[in-house]
Amino acid sequence: MLLEVKNLCTRLQTGDDAIDAVQGVSFSIERGETFCLVGESGSGKSVTALSIMQLLPADISSHPGGEILFEHRHANSQQREQVDILQAGSDTLQQIRGARIAMIFQEPMTSLNPVFTIGDQIIEALLLHWPDMSETEARKRAIEALRQVQIPHPEQRIDEYPHRLSGGQRQRAMIAMAMACEPDLLIADEPTTALDVTVQAEILRLMKNLQEKNGMGILFITHDFGVVAQMGHRLAVMKEGRIVETGETRQMIRQPTHDYTRRLLGSLPENLVKPARQHTPEPRTVIQVEGLNVHFPIKKGLLRRTVDSIRAVDGVDMNIQAGQIMALVGESGCGKTTLGRAILRLTEPTSGSVKFLNTDITRLTRKAMQPYRRQMQVVFQDPMSSLNPRLTIASALTEPMGVHGIGMNREERLERAGEVLEQVQLRRDYLWRYPHQFSGGQRQRIGIARALCLDPSFIICDEITSALDVSVQAEILQLLLALRDERELALLFITHNIGVVEYLSDDMAVMHEGRIVERGKTAELIRNPSQDYTQRLLDAVPRIS
Amino acid sequence: MTEHVDLEQSYFRRVVRDTFVRLSARIGIAWVAVLVFFAVFAPFIANSHPLLLSQEGELSSPLLNYLTAADVVLILGFFISLIIFMLKRLSRARRGWLAFASLLILTVLANLFIKPPELAVYEQYRNAERAGEYDWVLHTPIPYSPRDYLRDSGDTGLEAPFESEARLHLFGTEANGADLFSRMIHASRIALGIGFVATGIAMFIGVIIGGLMGYFSGWVDMIGMRLVEIFEAVPTLFLLLTFVAFFGRSLYIMMVIIGITSWSSYARYIRAEFLRLRQQDYVQAAVAGGLPLRSILFRHMLPNGIAPILVAASFGVASAILAEAVLSFLGLGLVDEPSWGQMLNQAVQSSSFYWWMAAFPGGAIFLTVFAYNLMGEALRDAIDPYLKRGG
Repeated sequence: MLLEVKNLCTRLQTGDDAIDAVQGVSFSIERGETFCLVGESGSGKSVTALSIMQLLPADISSHPGGEILFEHRHANSQQREQVDILQAGSDTLQQIRGARIAMIFQEPMTSLNPVFTIGDQIIEALLLHWPDMSETEARKRAIEALRQVQIPHPEQRIDEYPHRLSGGQRQRAMIAMAMACEPDLLIADEPTTALDVTVQAEILRLMKNLQEKNGMGILFITHDFGVVAQMGHRLAVMKEGRIVETGETRQMIRQPTHDYTRRLLGSLPENLVKPARQHTPEPRTVIQVEGLNVHFPIKKGLLRRTVDSIRAVDGVDMNIQAGQIMALVGESGCGKTTLGRAILRLTEPTSGSVKFLNTDITRLTRKAMQPYRRQMQVVFQDPMSSLNPRLTIASALTEPMGVHGIGMNREERLERAGEVLEQVQLRRDYLWRYPHQFSGGQRQRIGIARALCLDPSFIICDEITSALDVSVQAEILQLLLALRDERELALLFITHNIGVVEYLSDDMAVMHEGRIVERGKTAELIRNPSQDYTQRLLDAVPRIS
Repeated sequence: MTEHVDLEQSYFRRVVRDTFVRLSARIGIAWVAVLVFFAVFAPFIANSHPLLLSQEGELSSPLLNYLTAADVVLILGFFISLIIFMLKRLSRARRGWLAFASLLILTVLANLFIKPPELAVYEQYRNAERAGEYDWVLHTPIPYSPRDYLRDSGDTGLEAPFESEARLHLFGTEANGADLFSRMIHASRIALGIGFVATGIAMFIGVIIGGLMGYFSGWVDMIGMRLVEIFEAVPTLFLLLTFVAFFGRSLYIMMVIIGITSWSSYARYIRAEFLRLRQQDYVQAAVAGGLPLRSILFRHMLPNGIAPILVAASFGVASAILAEAVLSFLGLGLVDEPSWGQMLNQAVQSSSFYWWMAAFPGGAIFLTVFAYNLMGEALRDAIDPYLKRGG
């Protein structure tokens, strides 16, 4: 047994309160096995990993009970010894951490130190654990490690600074760093969550290959069942600091026994049941985008002359009908958010036209734009920053109503705001609370309510479920479908999650480098895409079956 | 992502609480509170006019007769503000406006109707008392006005504390023979006033210009930043010297000049905050909702970006007090009006060194500047998310 966690408890101290983040978790990992920990945010999966690495600050964390037994293979003598990490001294921990157990983190942008080259960072780790290794030898091994993670031209790339690498390459460099000392156990804490699906697929394949080659154990932490189905041999579902169910991955995904697991799997967009539409409205084009361009100039030299421009949105045409949900899919940096902002004129388009019910709104003045602002609304991705922390929900909802002359007086507007809150399944008395008193899912509902209270006919949803847990995501998606039917809304749903697209949208458009490469009915397009890019994108999506 | 569902009230209260859990901030606010008390009730603490006297069975209060419009505004304003801020039912902003409006009305009314006698003969009370004309007299704790030069006691001049046996001068007397403690108490008004008003003017200009710069960026930002650079190049002290030479000595001109030369740092802070806030989703949502510019700038952005300004302001108050002290020390301050800097000036005027003239006003300036800096530092730590205890 490589790692055996027995009845682990972790208590976190925040101010005067103590939270038992992990309460009696037990599991074990064999060599060459991938063990997945799955759970929603706050379930204690990351704290478990950090406890194994002993990376939690000692002054705010304690372990009231449990053992973490690790089979420590000494680097020089190959002698094996079982160590309880919770009891181990700092010398032993230092030998184990990094060398025998390595960890990779979620955010590739911040987990590498920007002032050192990636080579420096790998070589430092090597020399720390093998003090008698020569610099040239260490450098050779670092290049070898980079080659292993398939970074092209590792001899040259080793001297690059992290900002020269893309997100996927940085995550590869992180893995190279973790692998350089040939650890027996790799802990991966949501290593692909911040990456695009195509990159995610490559990283997952890479990790599998490395595992086959080195026979290491992997503790893989994620919230994505698709990834679990691809990676995991065994799986544990965590909820509120406890493991509710453990088992063989395929078996568990097919036949979950615990209620909570069943509920989680049922919330996946693939497994949601789409309600039938009551009626189809007669086609009426709400938004018509023609040849829309958004170019950001690149200025160079002393006179700041425009030498070139970044074509964030490059000649996009799009039609959205009343009651239609159009999904806009693409990887990060493809210009999908900019397109959404340009349609609302939150970013000024460079050329082209956006017609709202046959009126071109791209040339309107601020004042002439005013009545159209009411008709076109937006809901944002990040529930933390989408509400003004200093205003009550009541003022956030009623202020725009007042500006657009909805409701005769404050009482009437409050009444209406209360109704809208009920429509998004929140309580009426939430009006008098401040944003920090709500959870992420609730805030996202408030964001939708803010858009709805102006009674718009078109709403842009910019990645509104990306920051949410699957069960909350399912509720929001069902809410959107219901609202669409009720109000004949036209929705532009911007996302990178193909599962959500499949469930929610009628039509979809695939965006790549500022252009729409393919569009069509969602079901047909997913069944047989005609473009290579779409094909690659769809292939990369991890599916649970 | 753990939710911090904190039911405990708004950000503003939390910052105030976090600021004043620190001992240093408490010391700072305590000293400023003492100063405010002295400034508001100065005529009742140090005055040659008796508080109450009985002459041939008739009660009179010369002190009340001689109260100036400024005295009345300060005292009544203090109590009105206290009462208004006790009104819990009104929102904070509304209470602020109410207090501001009532102070304004009060100032106008007081200046229209309160006309104290122009000439005050301080000696008359002491002479009358010595002659036994009064049945009884009730004096203020310090029975000397700041401009009572004790002409009845002959040629007094500079006297060290407790030097004279006939009279009690806690802090001694200054060059013309007036009680130093009395002058210092009355001078606290100038120190506080110049600090608050000059900083208020600077903040007002800085927030408007910085806010527009940050929100519009582009060429508005370019012009604004050049304006900031121009104003940063103006040497405040020399401008003040020039203005004093041209327009004579006036407290108000000093306040305005200190104000309009020190707004640039506030503008920079606000600009940086607004550049950050402009990208926030709730500001974008406000734009998408078609809210007017005024509301976007002052309702949605300013309250979220004001915290760094408040920190800078508490340091600004300290530096405005210093600027006034420097001017007065150079002999360009107000004539005859007591001020801490001017007292320091007298300490080194002649060849000998009068320690009490240096120690007491100097100590007051030091403590006041120190108190504001302590509060500024505590406030800065309280709003700094990276210094939060316990992660």
